[in-house]
Amino acid sequence: MVKVSVTVDDEHLSTIGIVAEALRERGMDIADVLGELGIITGSVPQVRQSALIEVSGVISVDADQPIQLPPPDSPVQ
Amino acid sequence: MIANSSTSGPLGPEVGSEGQLGMAQTTGRYVVVFEDDASPADTLEATAGASNVADSRDFDSQAMDMAATAGADATVFSELGIAVVTVDPERLGFMQTSEPARGTIRSVSPELIHHVLDAPSDYVSGYRDGVMDLTARLGDDDEAPAERGVEASASANFADTDQATWGIQATRVSTTTKSGAGIKVAVLDTGFDSTHPDFVGRNITAKSFVPGAPPQDGHGHGTHCIGTACGPKSPSGTRRYGVAYEADIFVGKVLSDEGSGSDAGILAAINWAVANECPVISMSLGADVARPHPPYNQAGRRALAAGTLIIAAAGNNANRPGNKGFVGAPANSPDIMAVGALDPVLKIARFSARSLPGRGGQVDIAGPGVNVYSSWPMPTRYHTISGTSMATPHVAGIAALWAQATGRRGLALWATMVKESQRIAMPSVDVAAGLVLAGG
Repeated sequence: MVKVSVTVDDEHLSTIGIVAEALRERGMDIADVLGELGIITGSVPQVRQSALIEVSGVISVDADQPIQLPPPDSPVQ
Repeated sequence: MIANSSTSGPLGPEVGSEGQLGMAQTTGRYVVVFEDDASPADTLEATAGASNVADSRDFDSQAMDMAATAGADATVFSELGIAVVTVDPERLGFMQTSEPARGTIRSVSPELIHHVLDAPSDYVSGYRDGVMDLTARLGDDDEAPAERGVEASASANFADTDQATWGIQATRVSTTTKSGAGIKVAVLDTGFDSTHPDFVGRNITAKSFVPGAPPQDGHGHGTHCIGTACGPKSPSGTRRYGVAYEADIFVGKVLSDEGSGSDAGILAAINWAVANECPVISMSLGADVARPHPPYNQAGRRALAAGTLIIAAAGNNANRPGNKGFVGAPANSPDIMAVGALDPVLKIARFSARSLPGRGGQVDIAGPGVNVYSSWPMPTRYHTISGTSMATPHVAGIAALWAQATGRRGLALWATMVKESQRIAMPSVDVAAGLVLAGG
């Protein structure tokens, strides 16, 4: 499974639930539907990732970009 | 060169028609600035005896025909609360001090004649080109003559005192009357040590977006950032290190105690802060990725439109002077404000990332980010560290002060901070608008 963030266009913001349902049908496991932002997060089997972009209203499907802080004792944070 | 006119106080006879005001040429007319709730026409009649008043509202779309107003005693620009008035110089004093002027007229100044700025002569521009070429050939642009020896940077040398950290002093937080009261500041980080004694009695809302982890800070980074953004005005037994000491604190734990996090939690926390109408989000986090990340482009844009300004660390991937680094994600998204780090002499920090080419990839503002003293989880209590992570909550706390002072949100708040910041003699690709400053 790949963790992804799916970005939804402005026109589909009010029907973001329908977009989420369509993503689910294509194999995405939905974690969060972020209505304020128009973003749906979750995970998807790698082989199905490319199919998500075909859902109406989806403008971008991006793999998770991990963040890593330095350890607490690092002088530069 | 146009001299700056006085905007208040009585005007002497020397600034009348054709008079000199410094180097400025004047028209003989006067520019009157009204208080916000004044009635310009009534005031002018009462103070200047102006009966023939042209008002911009009498024109379609308030597009005044300047020829049609030439015979008027006064021309009022209603949207601006400003009028240009022909008045007997003997009445000037009355206009500023009389009873009807009180509370209605803010200032009266001579109308200046403005000129197109002179282009440099061929000789001067040729000389300038030669100097620039020589500078470029000499190599490192950080050593260019234009970038050193200028007052602001050269004279600055801040240090922590018993009263306040150097950053609190440099940003003029120590002299502002604003506290951030009524402003919700969300800090998305490693959480917060809720047992820290400096925050007793504060209005704190904490939520974790890290699966299985409470909002408690097991790293230190989050407690340090919250301390800078929202720490107390007079902490017991130590110097002031916090900016918005009466702000409502929204703690969003998006990074684990090991300092790691992912988009899903960060985006969920941004959504939470927007839904809670936080005017400011501070994010001292990022990935060293040059390509703007589409989810953050969208999150930044939507948040800003909803009145939430996201402020993020530019990144620590530089190692100057040789390697100047680049602004990472999410700070490189166009609608997210990217913060660079300055040291106590207001030079760019060795590690502070430089602007990327391309839309959104620029540094937008800079803040104190070297040797920053702030709160740390107990029992350590305080700790001094460096990073664009430390510059970011200075900017976020000051954003809360401006939000309180002006009522502005979103892009208007962004613009206010850029407008009010202190320009410094460092490359714009590193410090952009310069050192963030508090006002009020």
